Amino acid sequence: MLVFSVLALVMLIGALGVVLLPDPVHAALSLVGTLLTLAIAYVILNAPFLAAIQVIVYAGAIMVLFLFVIMLLNLGGETPSPTQPWIRPTAWAVAGLTIAAVAVTLTQNPGPALDAAAIAAVFQGSGVEQVADQLFGPFLLSFHLVGVLLLTGIIAAVGLVQQRATETAKVRAAAGQAGRTQPEPPPMPNLTEEAS
Amino acid sequence: MNAPVPTEAWIILSAALFALGAVGVLTRRSAIMVFLSVELMLNAANLALVAFAQQWATAGVAVAMSGQTAVFVVLAIAAAEVAVGLGILVAIFRYRVSTDVDVLSEVRL
Repeated sequence: MLVFSVLALVMLIGALGVVLLPDPVHAALSLVGTLLTLAIAYVILNAPFLAAIQVIVYAGAIMVLFLFVIMLLNLGGETPSPTQPWIRPTAWAVAGLTIAAVAVTLTQNPGPALDAAAIAAVFQGSGVEQVADQLFGPFLLSFHLVGVLLLTGIIAAVGLVQQRATETAKVRAAAGQAGRTQPEPPPMPNLTEEAS
Repeated sequence: MNAPVPTEAWIILSAALFALGAVGVLTRRSAIMVFLSVELMLNAANLALVAFAQQWATAGVAVAMSGQTAVFVVLAIAAAEVAVGLGILVAIFRYRVSTDVDVLSEVRL
């Protein structure tokens, strides 16, 4: 229970960082911390295979993609929304109420106690084999649909990039003829000048 | 071996993560921060699934492992969503030089 308390504390601090830190890079790194503690939680919950996948796919691939885009777009800090000032306190109040409701409900009506012997009997080894049995058995339709979804994602990403390339060429041609019509992104630091 | 942490504690933690993610979606102005908060909510759901998988260990290997397999599917969907979402975000940024969701209201009816 001590391990759980420390883990929950770190996880919630990371989650608060995602919501509160103004700098996107700091928020993304804070989410990495939360994802890594989630991997530890999966190990405690007898899912070591998922813990490995969590570190490799989530904390590795997905978060690198996020940080890459944040740095590519050179996003700065954000200011609180001036148009809807009531959203912030309302969102926090609703979130607090939700957490309190779940906590009260679960502590008032606890489920059946965990059977340590059954857990030890079911979760043996890394769990890869058992997950694969499920994935290619009852989850076969989901597996195929996820495959279709990933293919669609790839095609959509390529389509977006291609469209952007042709339209950027058009914008560049127009800018060359009639001056700058399009607002330019923030200027990139000139690497060659800095080097010299 | 220590007694396992009760499932209720994991579910409360998962609910807290989900609520914080929802607050992020509602209060953040940059679209990329909204995406980060959505990731937080997905992970909260994953944590609940894994905790329930452990709770259902008495029902046998098949039922217990189906919870973990569902997490696997959610992970793949999250990866696809991030790839397409960030692609759209970069495309929007090329035109608007901003990812502020308060400014992006072209598709509003």
